[in-house]
Amino acid sequence: MNIAFYLLALVAVLGAGLAITLRNVVHAVFSVLLFFSALAGLFLLMLAEFIAAVQVLVYIGSVGILMLFAIMLTTNVMGDPNRPVRSRGWVWGGLAVIALLAGVLLPLISRTGGQTPTPLSDFNPSVKQLGMVLMDPYFASVGVIALLLTAGLIGAVVAATGASEADQKKTVPANRPNYPNT
Amino acid sequence: MNNFFDLKLVELGRWIEAFFADFPSLKLVVHLLLCTLPLALSFMGAFAFTTWLERKGLARIQNRPGPNRVGIFGLLQPIADGIKMLIKEDIVPERSDKLFHFLAPIMLMIPALIGVGFLPLGDGLHALPLDSAIIFFFAISSLNTIAVFMAGWSSRNKYSLLGGMRAVAQMISYEIPLVLSAVAVIMIAGSLNAQEVVASQQISSWVGSGNILQEFFGRILGWNVFKPWGFAGFIFFFVAALAEANRSPFDLPEADSEIIAGHLTEYSGFKYAIFFMGEYISAFAIAGIGVTLFLGGWNGPVFSGLPWFVLKLFSLFAVMIWIRGTLPRLRVDQLMGYAWKFLFPLAILNIFLAGFYHFIERQWGTAIAMLAGWILGFGALQLAATALSRLNQSPIMRSKRVYQLVE
Amino acid sequence: MGLTLHHFLILSAILFSIGLVGALTRRHIIIMLICLEIMLNSANLNLIAFWHFSPNPLPLHGPLFTLFAIAIAATEAALGLALVLAIFRHYKTIDPESIQDLKE
Repeated sequence: MNIAFYLLALVAVLGAGLAITLRNVVHAVFSVLLFFSALAGLFLLMLAEFIAAVQVLVYIGSVGILMLFAIMLTTNVMGDPNRPVRSRGWVWGGLAVIALLAGVLLPLISRTGGQTPTPLSDFNPSVKQLGMVLMDPYFASVGVIALLLTAGLIGAVVAATGASEADQKKTVPANRPNYPNT
Repeated sequence: MNNFFDLKLVELGRWIEAFFADFPSLKLVVHLLLCTLPLALSFMGAFAFTTWLERKGLARIQNRPGPNRVGIFGLLQPIADGIKMLIKEDIVPERSDKLFHFLAPIMLMIPALIGVGFLPLGDGLHALPLDSAIIFFFAISSLNTIAVFMAGWSSRNKYSLLGGMRAVAQMISYEIPLVLSAVAVIMIAGSLNAQEVVASQQISSWVGSGNILQEFFGRILGWNVFKPWGFAGFIFFFVAALAEANRSPFDLPEADSEIIAGHLTEYSGFKYAIFFMGEYISAFAIAGIGVTLFLGGWNGPVFSGLPWFVLKLFSLFAVMIWIRGTLPRLRVDQLMGYAWKFLFPLAILNIFLAGFYHFIERQWGTAIAMLAGWILGFGALQLAATALSRLNQSPIMRSKRVYQLVE
Repeated sequence: MGLTLHHFLILSAILFSIGLVGALTRRHIIIMLICLEIMLNSANLNLIAFWHFSPNPLPLHGPLFTLFAIAIAATEAALGLALVLAIFRHYKTIDPESIQDLKE
């Protein structure tokens, strides 16, 4: 159990670290995919199988591909070798984050107890219970997420294609070739 | 007679493990090896056999002999192919991204091999018995798209990139009808566990009784493909599975008659063989899930268990080969239009049909449900399909044809 | 030494800070979005860790919350990338420091 945790944690930190330091954006996306899969492994270690499956399906299978497509559509793929990698205030940014980590997060963590997990005989998470709970008390949340996803879909299409009032009034040209007698 | 092979195999596994009863960690390793190694080896053997089957089958459909030099009926052809692939020069383009060019074939094999672990091969023969196995399978099969993109991008070749992007667009578009048609099955079976989905496809009241005839038919007629929503779902699942596995008629990314081989352009020798193997094994995995969800898994009349699963899997693969030899290839815009404008609405309607059938069955029994389901439900689906195909046709196809005679 | 809650929380804090450093210091819009996803994922890890180590874990505490968090994060990634496409079409650059129209 311990070896699996340390190995997965190492891969996760490696993936995230490479993602923020690599120059080539596509390499950075591949390393963040590695990070997502290490995280899916950690979810599986904590017996949340459904969430591990959803993590792989949504993050690696969809969000990762979305990022790759966005890179293909926006950047000069072969790369500009003189592009600056780090922003001008990077020293202050790094110091602020280290201050956050050491000053806020670690003291908070040390204050929580060092709990151990519940023994496996009592621990019985099942997807069926999750499904039943999603239907009965939390159905409104599912409806709200559905609305959010629909709004996100429509908004993404509008934002990405730049549809505007002027476009809607343009007439669609006839796409029939010019056959005689028709 | 039922579950004969499954019980014998499980007994064999326990007998082997009993030798290591004194060393618990070694026993764990042996248990893991027993779960995974036979599966991987037998699927690779099946891959070798299937390459022969495909070449021979396609050849007979196209009225030519096929491989017949290497052994009797050309049965040693896979060995000759393997030797040829191994001794070919491995060409890596100089400006390519060497690490990802090397990783892409491996990234295709890994999801394929993990995917065949989720198949319930028999009663108790299940390599990865997770509680949410079906959705895990769809998650793992979505890793194929990453491998294809990696192959297309790392070759630093604009044709590879174009082919790779097209292949990725095709695969992500067809994931949606694939998962939606599985959702109907999961909704009715009530569980994501593969063994439970298989067990729900026996008519349990008939199988438990002693009557031989009822037992015989109880193990066949319960399959999901004989219910109206299951039949439609199976068709959608099969078409989407063909597209996910990049097989004809959806094989635009890697077609034989295209000038460029898409994302596989810059791969030669052993890496190409690994790509080939990965694609075939992932086609096996998706066909296996199709068998589990719709064709009743390992249920069968007399020798219930592993032999029936293998029979169904190979017959589905034979249908894939048959379709490859028969139908022409779809163009890329026809492909995308088919997924989004035809299969996706129909798969959603299929879920409604499954719910409709389920509630009528609970209220009034199976016979009336079958009648109402096939006539009303399937009729509604057929109507929707006709309406959608009419709507999606371009104006040229809808206008009346005019013939011109040569004067 | 068995695994305790501390291990997971410290890992999640480290991952969050790595994401935050990336979001603050990189000069490419898409890398900033990637770092946003890293931060959201580390928060999900936190949620599941607290669920796993709680004394009476029902499925409606951990996975439910995490499921909604994943759905919302995916929507936000999609919208963010659509906005990146729109920005690129207008400014022809992906360097956030050269988009200075609102600066006087």
